[in-house]
Amino acid sequence: MWLKHLLLTFCHWCNNSFFGHGIRNSTWLFPFVEIFHLLALGVLGGTILIVNMRLLGFRFWGESSSELAREVRPWTLGSLAVMLLSGFLLFSTEAVKMYGNWAFQFKMSSLFLAILFTFTIHRKVAMSDESRVSPLWRRLVAVVSLVLWAGVGLGGRAIGYVTTSVTSTSIWLN
Amino acid sequence: MRESTWAEPIVETVHVLTLTMFLGFAVLLDLRLLGICLKRRRVSDVLGQLNRWLFAGFAVMVVTGTLLFCADPVSFYSTFFLKAKMVMLVLAGLNIVVFNLTVGRKVAEWDLDSRTPRGAKVASIVSIVLWVLIVAAGRAIAYALPPP
Repeated sequence: MWLKHLLLTFCHWCNNSFFGHGIRNSTWLFPFVEIFHLLALGVLGGTILIVNMRLLGFRFWGESSSELAREVRPWTLGSLAVMLLSGFLLFSTEAVKMYGNWAFQFKMSSLFLAILFTFTIHRKVAMSDESRVSPLWRRLVAVVSLVLWAGVGLGGRAIGYVTTSVTSTSIWLN
Repeated sequence: MRESTWAEPIVETVHVLTLTMFLGFAVLLDLRLLGICLKRRRVSDVLGQLNRWLFAGFAVMVVTGTLLFCADPVSFYSTFFLKAKMVMLVLAGLNIVVFNLTVGRKVAEWDLDSRTPRGAKVASIVSIVLWVLIVAAGRAIAYALPPP
């Protein structure tokens, strides 16, 4: 319960922050930030996809998956940073509404799991020597990664289509 | 499309998810042409491997994009951004043609260079700028559409 309370307090703070307020009241700031979110999505998705395709067995340039993963890593991290920052800004414009949006909740849960998985198991398998990990295990890790990231994308897509009622949650805080 | 509740969101989702692959791979290719990423790979290898995915992705983008357009062609056509997007798509195509007729043709001479020729750099920067603007214009269409 305390976690719920903390999250909702945070959402209210975002809603009332200068950036949440500023972006909400501007005609072009929201689309402007959204475009950065979309462009970073391209780079993030592309780099994650190519490493996972390598793990699935597509050979590309005959390099090892660890080489490929290392080469695209700065771009994955950079675009993830842009995604998180621009996503947070977009969220802050209607944070309290998002709190009760199931698609948003689904997206954040998937995102949490996807990031956790990417920087632990996925990283370890992608970076390790090919002879030391069985192909089946590599494929499984790639599929899990793709499913988790697809969950983030689909959840994000669904946010706009889900209509929420915020009254039930906002009453007890106010 | 207009009659169904689900068709439009599904087609749009496919359009956006394919964008991830297309844009991501296009940027990787452009970064190789700039000598920033995948430096030790042959340019011809990177081109050859990524091209088939770029073509496949582009085909999906065109089909889903056309479907979205057909749901309401008059409104779409009335927006400035749709026209801008189409013009930029043609320019992006021309950029590829020019690249293939000039520096791309002599790729064997600089295949392994991490410092790529100026022509390749120009082509890749033009490509990145155009795709960024195409995505931005695509997003802007939704904001410019007259309310239903």
